[in-house]
Amino acid sequence: MNRFILLIVAIGLSVSAYAQKTVSGRVLEKGTNTPLLGVTVLEKGTTVGTSTDFDGNFTLEGVYADNVLVFSYIGYKTLEITVGDQNKLSVFLEIDAQQMDEVVVTALNIKRDKESLGYSVSQISSEQIDVARTNNVMNALSGKVAGLQISQSNTGVDGSSRILLRGITTINGNNRPLVVVDGIPINNGASSASSWGGTDRGDELSDIDPDNVESMSVLKGAGAAAAYGSLGMHGVILITTKSGSKQKGVGISLNSSFAFTEISLTPDLQNEYGTGAFGDFAPMGPNGRPVLDYPFSWSWGPKMEGQPYTNWLGQPDTFSPHGNPYEQFYSTGYSLSNTVAFEGGSEKGSFRMSFTDESGQGIISNNTLAKQTYNIRGTSKLTDKFSIEGKMTYITSKVKNQPGLAESPNNTSLQLSLMPRDIRLYDVKNNTVDANGNEIKWNLDNTFNNPYWALDNMGNSDNKNRFQGFLGANWDINSNINIAAKTGMDYITFDYMAFGAKGAQAISNGLGEYSHDSGKSRIWNSDILATYSTSVSDFKISASLGSSYRNEWSNNLNVNGNDSKVPNFYNISNYKNSFSSEATYEKGVYSYYGLGSVSYGGFLYLDATLRNDNSSTLPKDNDSYWYHSENLSLLFSKLLGIESNVFNLGKIRGSYARVGNDTSPYRTQAVYTIDQTVTLPYTVASIPSNLPDFDLRPETSNSWEVGTELGFFNNRLQLDFTYYQTKTNDQIMAVPISATTAYDSKVVNAGTISNEGIEFQLNAVPVESENFGWNLGFNFTKSNSMVESLNENLESITLNTLWGVSVEARPGEEFGSIYGNDYSRDNFGRKLITDDGYAQKGERIKQGSINPDWFGGVTNSFRYRNLTLSALISVQQGAEFYSYGRAYRMYFGTDARSLDGRETGIIEDGINEHTGLVNETPVPAMLSQFTNIFTNEVATDQILDASNVKLREVTLTFDFPQKMLRNTFIQAASMSAVGRNLFFFYNAAGDIDPESGYNSGPTGAALEHSSLPSTRSFGANLKIKF
Amino acid sequence: MKYIQNTIQKISIALVVGILLLSCQNNLDDLRENPNAVTEIDDAALFTKAVRSLFLGTTDVSALRFSGHYGHYFVAGSTARIPDQYGDNFDSQYNDMYTDMYGGPIRHIEDVLEITTADGTKNEVRHAMADVIAVLAYAKITDAFGDIPYTEGGKGKTEDILLPKYDTQESIYKDMIGRLGNSIAVLKSADPAMGYPNSDPVFNNDLDKWVKFANSVRLRLGMRIRFADNALSKEIVAQCLAAPLMEGNGDDAFMIQTEGNGNPWYNARTGFPSVKMSTFLLDQLESTADPRLPKFFMLDQAGQYSGETNGLNDVAFGESNFAAKSDMGLALSSQDSKMYMITASEVWLLRAEAALIFQNDPAKANELYRKGIERSLHQWEIDGTEISNFMASPITTLAGANDEEQIGTQLWLALIPNYFEGWTQIRRTGYPIIKERTYDNLSRGVTNGNLPTRFLYSSFELSSNHINVEEAISRQGANKIDTPVWWDKN
Repeated sequence: MNRFILLIVAIGLSVSAYAQKTVSGRVLEKGTNTPLLGVTVLEKGTTVGTSTDFDGNFTLEGVYADNVLVFSYIGYKTLEITVGDQNKLSVFLEIDAQQMDEVVVTALNIKRDKESLGYSVSQISSEQIDVARTNNVMNALSGKVAGLQISQSNTGVDGSSRILLRGITTINGNNRPLVVVDGIPINNGASSASSWGGTDRGDELSDIDPDNVESMSVLKGAGAAAAYGSLGMHGVILITTKSGSKQKGVGISLNSSFAFTEISLTPDLQNEYGTGAFGDFAPMGPNGRPVLDYPFSWSWGPKMEGQPYTNWLGQPDTFSPHGNPYEQFYSTGYSLSNTVAFEGGSEKGSFRMSFTDESGQGIISNNTLAKQTYNIRGTSKLTDKFSIEGKMTYITSKVKNQPGLAESPNNTSLQLSLMPRDIRLYDVKNNTVDANGNEIKWNLDNTFNNPYWALDNMGNSDNKNRFQGFLGANWDINSNINIAAKTGMDYITFDYMAFGAKGAQAISNGLGEYSHDSGKSRIWNSDILATYSTSVSDFKISASLGSSYRNEWSNNLNVNGNDSKVPNFYNISNYKNSFSSEATYEKGVYSYYGLGSVSYGGFLYLDATLRNDNSSTLPKDNDSYWYHSENLSLLFSKLLGIESNVFNLGKIRGSYARVGNDTSPYRTQAVYTIDQTVTLPYTVASIPSNLPDFDLRPETSNSWEVGTELGFFNNRLQLDFTYYQTKTNDQIMAVPISATTAYDSKVVNAGTISNEGIEFQLNAVPVESENFGWNLGFNFTKSNSMVESLNENLESITLNTLWGVSVEARPGEEFGSIYGNDYSRDNFGRKLITDDGYAQKGERIKQGSINPDWFGGVTNSFRYRNLTLSALISVQQGAEFYSYGRAYRMYFGTDARSLDGRETGIIEDGINEHTGLVNETPVPAMLSQFTNIFTNEVATDQILDASNVKLREVTLTFDFPQKMLRNTFIQAASMSAVGRNLFFFYNAAGDIDPESGYNSGPTGAALEHSSLPSTRSFGANLKIKF
Repeated sequence: MKYIQNTIQKISIALVVGILLLSCQNNLDDLRENPNAVTEIDDAALFTKAVRSLFLGTTDVSALRFSGHYGHYFVAGSTARIPDQYGDNFDSQYNDMYTDMYGGPIRHIEDVLEITTADGTKNEVRHAMADVIAVLAYAKITDAFGDIPYTEGGKGKTEDILLPKYDTQESIYKDMIGRLGNSIAVLKSADPAMGYPNSDPVFNNDLDKWVKFANSVRLRLGMRIRFADNALSKEIVAQCLAAPLMEGNGDDAFMIQTEGNGNPWYNARTGFPSVKMSTFLLDQLESTADPRLPKFFMLDQAGQYSGETNGLNDVAFGESNFAAKSDMGLALSSQDSKMYMITASEVWLLRAEAALIFQNDPAKANELYRKGIERSLHQWEIDGTEISNFMASPITTLAGANDEEQIGTQLWLALIPNYFEGWTQIRRTGYPIIKERTYDNLSRGVTNGNLPTRFLYSSFELSSNHINVEEAISRQGANKIDTPVWWDKN
């Protein structure tokens, strides 16, 4: 911020009248001789100075010969020149690679020296984002930032990511960090599937075009984010998009990427036993086909030895396996993106315009994406002191046929993994509909469908139009006072249509159905900030006052119907029964805030924030709440004068913040809803199942962090260490209450969650020479969320469930314990086995947790001349998840592990419950699996370790040397080859990807259910600047 | 000059900020109003909700997954038949039954009961009608679970009770019988205009029918406690017999679901997992040439009536060719099939039982028994000759030897499709006799093959209302599906 203030000061100052002489000159970039715009030129020890114009020229009057002029510019090494007898200066500034990294964007888009901050910030540059371009810009951060957990399952093209910054702090809500684009907080919602199915409709962040991103800053703690009030409670990701600047050449850049996506990990299936149960074939039904109901639709039949039998279609066939159905069913997907951008700038302003076209196809060929982004951004200096800026982004996207997940009737992976092992996929494909137009199935159950029937007859489309824009003005009233105002919005409309044709029992009992959701949402932020800055001897002081208003509004309309009249026509008019619903939500928050910062001598920095929010979601008497934050940074190396080439930076920092939080709208009012009846002559009203709280108070969160940053060998080695603690009290939550109250839940303030963690980041440049360079980045995070208390009388809050397993918050335990039934055991942990040889259901116990012990990433980057090879390896130790997919495959007998004891029976490892002797009684493997998994819901054997080491990203980049481009109109060009999610070095869960949950919510990683196979991608990226 | 400029600036900033602050608070107040709902409502709209959810409750999970099996009326396919094997591993469904009943009829009727006693909206007639609905809802829950929260139950909103105490079934029954007595007294002489004109889903505000309805429910409750408190039972039944009772099919309490997909049994028949009628019911109907057979059963794939045996183990079930068995009859499982709460037929049969045991008058009992059967046949619109043929068969006359069994069996048939009441009837009287499952191909579950007698308090209830439910368990007996409820002495 110092430089920013200095810049303002420099521009604003009138020039002294004692001119001894006038010095003019030109400032250029060393090596390229590019003129530099806006370089600060100051007489050393004064505030007298100026800045360079568009052509790098400056003129400074009243200069004495013994004056020293200081030339400083963000990203360049500061240069001092004694005027002497020169009247005309040519100044060359050298790029300062280290310093570039140290200027970071902080809250309210204020650029600051990283040195001066009392909290932890990580910044990622555009190069890191658009080289290994992904659909969702957030994935570029995965594995690169300490404290940030990002994972993305394969849930179809443009699926959502699970994002957590410093773990989970609140029971209520999605715990996702706030995302601010160019100063405007945007919608960062996500929607994904539940255990009963559904599709992943992506998250709002996937609309941010990576090609437009200049940099991303991750503000981790409340201290960093306090200026955003409650919105910043879960941390903030600040995205700065590219704005135009004066370019060499014509200012056109092109960026093209293309990538293939192929399946990389599928469950191990057995190939020895086929359809049937108890080692026998299914009995024949009256229609000449085997009965396809439980248990004969499982793979517990005879051994497949090529013997003749009647197959599932009732045709004579030979009984043999037919390979990996995943590989036969799924195809290679792709993604393609092209961006063209035009930019330019002058002393009067700058301008950038870009267009991006993206298309893609998932591993299911009808799952497609088409998206276009139109973007205009410009600034204009109307006068020396008054400038305006604005941006408009229009995004239009169409995603088709997001695959069904989890228990969905169109989850193709569920079908493929459970189909009896003798079924030929070719037969499934060629037998989708019978003569009566009904689906031909391999199992009577609604959950199990012909995957090819589902491909042809179930589908969805999600059309989204999104407008993001802002208008801003900046006024330097005088050298000390600046006022900046901005208003911006994020407006989204979507139409989501889903249909299922007639003829499948799973879809409205064969009648067919249709649903159309039409929604609009708007987030509108306006803010104004006045800043006063001055310096008194060695103190630099800046104080700001600001105010903002945020309004969130959304409206959803749904029509749905069943019983179609004519086939293949998906419009509500075609359905005999139709229903509709509507919902509107709106909330408003007014805020007033003050920011102050004082620095002394360039080594001590103190920042403080005070903010007051007033939210419509809280009752009138409690609707106002305060926050504050205090951040301190001390450069002890500078203070003690111990800076040297070996130890060039030593900083300690500390931060304390208290943040408040509101909630979702309408939780403080008792209401009646009107039932949407069509046929009834009377009115029917309902009371919502959630009891309101008329005295709701805001949540509060107190957090502090301390950290240190150390630089050695001129920053060739940088270390950053942080310890933090957060305690969130008075959590606003809908506490589940006994059904005997007649209600499901009551909104209350209750419960405390505490978080603590360690973050460590290391960056090193072990080798750096003209021809060869090696960069090493390492980050490590250990984070722990504890539930200290809940509402009294409440033993647990269930956060997520699947089959008999739940993810819970229990007092005294870490947040997100995984609970499930264990086997019945004696005091020594031995299973108690019945006389018949069966294990039994025991206690419901904690079987795991969603929290890893630690996680981290290692990036190695090697450069040889113009060729750079970079690899990112991510590591996670600990955390568990429950695989219902494996559970299913085990009792359906398709899993390779289900071969155990097929012929001999399974002898459960344990002791007889009556005699205490070691169990020796075998039970049929099928009944053992079915009893344990299905009847007794014992989860123990399917709780898997999520530890893994993954080669997440490899890029090979070639920068075309300037020599090569000299005689062309190309200014710069580079080409990259990119591989993502290539393979696991180690995966404790074996054939299941630990990042394959169907839900991207905070606890979604704990539950896996027949996920689509994980994918890896290979691609190429070409960037050219004209 | 500069000073004046600054002052003007400061004043204008102060003014702008001041105006902003004022308009902000007004704007926030506007945003607090929920645009998706209303804050006040005529209790008629809540009464209709309560009544409708009570009647729809006859088709809920308690019937579809549990009492339909326990009553040996049908067998559901696939994994939905596991309750039929007398297991008890249905924690979430046990909680669903609580949620359905407390969150449906009770949530809304408690609001009605509050509104109809509050100053300004006090209405004795509406209150009396609401009490009948409340009693029916609580009766079902206590019959299913035994001790339940009653005096403090359902009052999360009206009295802010979040940890309701459990009452004994005995005290609940006594109070319910009293409440119905009060309602009958009020409704007998009430002005219908004070009731729910145009907002009564069952009797269209016909208060005479409401009196019969309330009194018939009271008779049902009076008979239910016959083995637990014989003297009280006798006294209450005598009172009921002295007041108007349901007599004709026009008095039957039923509702037709015209919204959505209609009667849920339609979905159960056409959807998955399918439901097939039981061998036990088929044997009863076929052996007596009962003309209700084609009403209750559809022809199977072979053009015959066939049934599935209840309680088969996995191997036997797999080999039983379940899919080919008879579906539930169209009279029961069409979209517009009636959902019955209580019928004249049940009332006649209860009166027959009362005549036999309390009045010791077998002749009277026989007369009432025959009326009960006849009402049932009319209820299902059996044609006249078939009725007279059946009424001439020996089964329709009490033979004197097993009269209680005959009456009990006919009650069990007459209660179709209120399967929950059918199971309750078996638990109360022991008729029809459901034998202990001893065969090799039958599952004996957790009850050693004996018919389950209640549902379990769910683990969620055990954690969310811990102290109170534990107290009930210590009073009533272990939280098991074969612990009998208070009135269950057979």
